[in-house]
Amino acid sequence: MSSTPVTTVPESPAAAIGPTYKDTKPKATVSTPVHHENVHILPQTPQLIALLTMIRDKNTVRADFIFYSNRIIRLLVEEGLNHLPVISHPVTTPTGRIYSGVKFEGKICGVSIMRAGEAMEQGLRDCCRSVRIGKILIQRDEETCKPRLFYDKLPEDIADRFVLLLDPMFATGGSATMAVEVLISRGVPEERILFLNLIASPEGINGFATKFPKLRVITAFVDQGLNEKNYIIPGLGDFGDRYYCI
Amino acid sequence: MPTAAPVVHYSPPWANTHIIGIAGSSGSGKTSLALKIVTALNLPWVVILSMDSFYKTLTPEQSKLAFNNEYDFDSPSSIDFDILVEKLRDLKQGRKAEIPVYSFEKHQRQPETTTIYSCHVLVLEGIFALYDSRVLELLDMKIYVDTDADVCLARRLARDIKYRGRELNGAIKQWMTFVKPNYELYVEPQKKNADIMVPRGIENITAIQMIVRHIQRALQKKSKEHIDALRKLNQGIEADEPLSPNIKVLKQSNQLNGMHTILHNRETTREDIVFYFDRISTLLVEKAMDHLEHVSNEIETAQGLPYTGYKLATEVNAVVILRSGGTLEVGLKRVVPDAKIGRVLIQSNARTGEPELHYLKLPDTLHEHSVLVLDPQIASGASALMTITVLKDHGVKEENIVFVTYLASIGGLRRMSKVFPKVRIVVGKMQEAFERRWIDERYFGS
Repeated sequence: MSSTPVTTVPESPAAAIGPTYKDTKPKATVSTPVHHENVHILPQTPQLIALLTMIRDKNTVRADFIFYSNRIIRLLVEEGLNHLPVISHPVTTPTGRIYSGVKFEGKICGVSIMRAGEAMEQGLRDCCRSVRIGKILIQRDEETCKPRLFYDKLPEDIADRFVLLLDPMFATGGSATMAVEVLISRGVPEERILFLNLIASPEGINGFATKFPKLRVITAFVDQGLNEKNYIIPGLGDFGDRYYCI
Repeated sequence: MPTAAPVVHYSPPWANTHIIGIAGSSGSGKTSLALKIVTALNLPWVVILSMDSFYKTLTPEQSKLAFNNEYDFDSPSSIDFDILVEKLRDLKQGRKAEIPVYSFEKHQRQPETTTIYSCHVLVLEGIFALYDSRVLELLDMKIYVDTDADVCLARRLARDIKYRGRELNGAIKQWMTFVKPNYELYVEPQKKNADIMVPRGIENITAIQMIVRHIQRALQKKSKEHIDALRKLNQGIEADEPLSPNIKVLKQSNQLNGMHTILHNRETTREDIVFYFDRISTLLVEKAMDHLEHVSNEIETAQGLPYTGYKLATEVNAVVILRSGGTLEVGLKRVVPDAKIGRVLIQSNARTGEPELHYLKLPDTLHEHSVLVLDPQIASGASALMTITVLKDHGVKEENIVFVTYLASIGGLRRMSKVFPKVRIVVGKMQEAFERRWIDERYFGS
């Protein structure tokens, strides 16, 4: 896919991160900061940047693309699950000690935005066995150029659940916005929606976070911007193609 | 700024190896005696070193003589004492020693070597085991096997003809020309260096029992010293001393606390223990990866644009401390499926509580790479200290080691960072008190 870089978007910050014992740290470009309380960017650790570098690289083969994106997705799911509430739950340990622990409260489900979002289901299942998963198909209407809902299949009791909404690429956010609207229309309160995402555009994510202030966004990286075709840059190409086809 | 805490030395139980020398005439039964002692002790860390490994490589002329039974193998000058002393010193210091392999067919030292490492007792046997004054200095016990010369000759002839394919005449010629004169000149005078004379070799059961008891006492003393040394590592640590910044504890989030509770609950089924422990071990290994060295990596994205990211500076290897370290392998494989894995079996002695190294198998190239050491529980930290000592002895740099653990006692962590301040330790959960190991029992169900 060829595209010309857009010069109007802000440059991502170049930062030096890494082990504290090193005096000179190698440089890498980390996520653009986003100033919304409901947007959580994964800590920009050297290994996360290395994983993202692998999946961005055009020379990465599909098997590696799948493996490394799964590792990031698992981290996103773990971070997302941290936002779920717990209640006190004391237990007795194998050594006979009382352990003042906690247990998870409330039911969850996953909803993937087809087709790229389905690639995140494996990572979700790695962390939550037998989790219920709904699907939403949204495609761009060729006549109006607006996203259009083609299909959805959601758990019946979705209104009683926390929803982990899955979509790896967040460019303009048209489909994600429509997916959230679908969920709200089925009775899911906005504050019980967690949107899990690999790479977002700054303009897209800012608009989304403002429109849905109570929903939480967990993303691995906010990139530089969008090009004239509304692709995220420098990006990683079409996630669904690289995961399923190329 | 507080000044850096002084580094404390940990001495493994194989440092200051107890070395026993057994000398005696050819055919006197040195080897049999050494084997008898090792069998009686029945411990994996008692090793026999034969001086045959230290014959000098022969020149072509010497080699020709040797094939005609005309080379003097029974003179001290045929032994490379310099190398022997060097290797014995290494072993005495607890270091790894590469022992030469000598081929009697070619009369040459072979390119390969045999590694001796971590023995507590070394039995050095050879006709000149009590000959060189530098060797004598390193010996803790000096034994001379005193067998009648006619018995020695009879045994030697039988062995040469039966097992070494020699002719009777050649064997007798060698005995008369070399063995006997050398015996009188060099071997027998070693008697005056001996602590114990064993007449009749392995037939002398009383002497063998005495020697074995002596070694057992020496081993007990070493074991006690090791336990005391481990205990001493705690002294001088203030209770409120902050933990080293190289100790990295996972963020104790809601979800992690929920998983801790499931794992700590004795009612939890094993199926759930395995599932949730695998999830935590994946998080621990992911966290450990953050503390490995990364270098810049400039790539072109699938959009055709440049991006400067990172990649790991070296391959990632792992060392599993068995048995319990095996519980973290699923997490390792989810993150680094192709990691080369070394294995170390360390068990605490049921009676004394002393950690003992039973088995060791490491990838050859370990020293070139980053190494994740896996053990789900740090109690006293003793097996962790032992493992890191082993890795450093195999050339792994301290700063390239990341120790991955789930439950760690504060005391154990303090000991570890006092002895190995550069090792980073990734911890799932801190504990105030020492606790017996229970994670592997729950995970493996045995």
